Amino acid sequence: MFDYFANPSRFIRIANRLLLPLVILSLSTGAIGLYLGLFVAPADYQQGDTVRIIYIHVPSAWLALFGYVGLGLCGLFYVVWRHPLADIAARAIAPVGAVFALLTLVTGALWGKPMWGAWWVWDARLTSMLILFFFYLGFIALANGFDRAERGSRPAALLALVGMINVPIVKFSVDWWNTLHQPASLLRSDGPAIDSSMLTPLVLTLIAAHAYFAILVILRMRALLTERRLAALTLRPGGE
Amino acid sequence: MKPFFAQIERDLLIAWQNRQDLGVMLVFFVIIIALFPLAIGANATVLDPLGVPVIWIAALLAILAGFDRLFAQDVRDGWLDQIALSQLGLGWYALAKAISHWLTAGIPLLIMTPLMAMMLNIPSQQWPPLLIALLIGSMGLTLLGVIGAALAEGARRGTALMALLILPLAVPLLIFGTLASQSDRGIISPHLMLLGAVFALLLALAPLVAASALEIGETETGL
Amino acid sequence: MTDNDHKKSVRKPAPSAADNCLHINQLSVHRGMALVISNLSHQQSAGDICCLTGPNGAGKSTLLRTIAGRLPAAGGDIKCALPIIYIGHTDGLSGAISGRENLAGWAKINGFSATENAIDTALSSFATNRFADLPVRVLSRGQRRRLALARLALAPANSLWLLDEPNAGLDQASSRILDEIVQKHATAGGMVLAATHLDFAAAAQPRSLHLPGLVT
Repeated sequence: MFDYFANPSRFIRIANRLLLPLVILSLSTGAIGLYLGLFVAPADYQQGDTVRIIYIHVPSAWLALFGYVGLGLCGLFYVVWRHPLADIAARAIAPVGAVFALLTLVTGALWGKPMWGAWWVWDARLTSMLILFFFYLGFIALANGFDRAERGSRPAALLALVGMINVPIVKFSVDWWNTLHQPASLLRSDGPAIDSSMLTPLVLTLIAAHAYFAILVILRMRALLTERRLAALTLRPGGE
Repeated sequence: MKPFFAQIERDLLIAWQNRQDLGVMLVFFVIIIALFPLAIGANATVLDPLGVPVIWIAALLAILAGFDRLFAQDVRDGWLDQIALSQLGLGWYALAKAISHWLTAGIPLLIMTPLMAMMLNIPSQQWPPLLIALLIGSMGLTLLGVIGAALAEGARRGTALMALLILPLAVPLLIFGTLASQSDRGIISPHLMLLGAVFALLLALAPLVAASALEIGETETGL
Repeated sequence: MTDNDHKKSVRKPAPSAADNCLHINQLSVHRGMALVISNLSHQQSAGDICCLTGPNGAGKSTLLRTIAGRLPAAGGDIKCALPIIYIGHTDGLSGAISGRENLAGWAKINGFSATENAIDTALSSFATNRFADLPVRVLSRGQRRRLALARLALAPANSLWLLDEPNAGLDQASSRILDEIVQKHATAGGMVLAATHLDFAAAAQPRSLHLPGLVT
């Protein structure tokens, strides 16, 4: 039993040391990025001030995807090497990723209203993100769907793995439709197509969001580990 | 291979004894299809383009509706414990389950489809692509159902949970399937090939995932 | 098909073929966060009958299910190269089909002989022929148990039998049959590990393995 938690204890020590630098990084880049984005960067010549929502929308979308990749990797670690920390990490990531997916959908809808004249259009990227959001919900529901919480770990890890294989296919199939959305503009082989006055704040907010994501995941993992330890202590045989 | 066919034989015997379930599934399929005109109205210009998608959605729901008890009965009976110790192995067992389920649910559905296509006014030259696509699609959906049922086995609210897991995964099958069904470039369309590719992937994936999910056999009874 | 064929791939076959023993070494099993079996070691060789005793919740079923490979061990290892026949709390019978069909299906998935003759012999071992062709759902608990135990007659001679409360629901006559079959299996060089409150006949002098129970 002590062997079982030796590694997590080390993880908590390392995580605790990382926490403060992450908070500083997230706050500073976030503040500068948002200031540059909201006040300094020029409005888009076509989209006007509504374009400024990208400083929330784009980082959220990245993190929703990033989180799902993380979930899949945790699933792989858990299924193949049965590492208990991978299960904790996946359970910590899932709700955070789900919230970012939801945030992407909401900001996308807010952006869509002035741009397309409707809160929701069945555009390929929004639809993919919606399905990704459903994947997150499925993972959360499955991981917590059993009477004994740990019983859900392996099915949920398997689901994350299946999802990781399936997400590109879903994306591909959804892209089959004609879309109303602009083509990807940040990651293109011939370099970013947006002006550096907008790119700088975008990169800064991306850094801030990733750091924030890491903070949330670390805090949640710490809480989950403590919860498990508590459960293990109360169930420990009395005679020992 | 003998143990593999023995498992299929056993499932078919059980399905034959419970053959009224098949009727329920088919009626479910027909009712879903009948609900669409009732909700949309009998206007042919609105209804006609919806024929193929309606059949696909009804097939998806009807096939998946039968899945909540796919493994549950075997777990409760203790049959899964016997399988785990047998020559068969859980992966082959899951595949055998998929085949017997498809034979008892997918085939009757396909037989029923021309009748439904007639009721929905789908022109007869569209039937071959529809039936071929639905043939592959129903097999793919069955494999997805096996994955979902294995993952959700033993969970509270298993049925609703299964639907939540499976429906997002079914998106590629639904998209390529409906596109292939409405193909005007002959039966072997690119969409049909994509549908086949998704099916092939699921065929490789489903037994592995199901075996891994079913490997640990906890029961509520006894320590 | 040799008997070793039908071992699960998870457990490695013992180093030598002559080693037809059950070795349990420092075994620990968790259920959730609770430790149910801790550092259990046990050895059993051909011809041994062992009764598993202990209070409720001591981990008798857990131990049997772990040996059968249905629960993961948290520590230690189990070595057994013999075919395992596991009869748990549940009978492993489908209610929709007859006892005969259930038994034949079981024989086939295990690669045992499933001829009419072999099945008939197995069915008669627990005197189940009279109701073997009825759907299992109409049978009583004891009758189902007898059908489940009829499997033992199909098992290879050198197999390890894991029996979880095999007498549950059995009448006296059937209990006596079970007793005889267990003895015969041991004499023929088989192994039996059973969680049971009833002692098997004293003649064989079964060993017993007591699990004190860890969860208080």
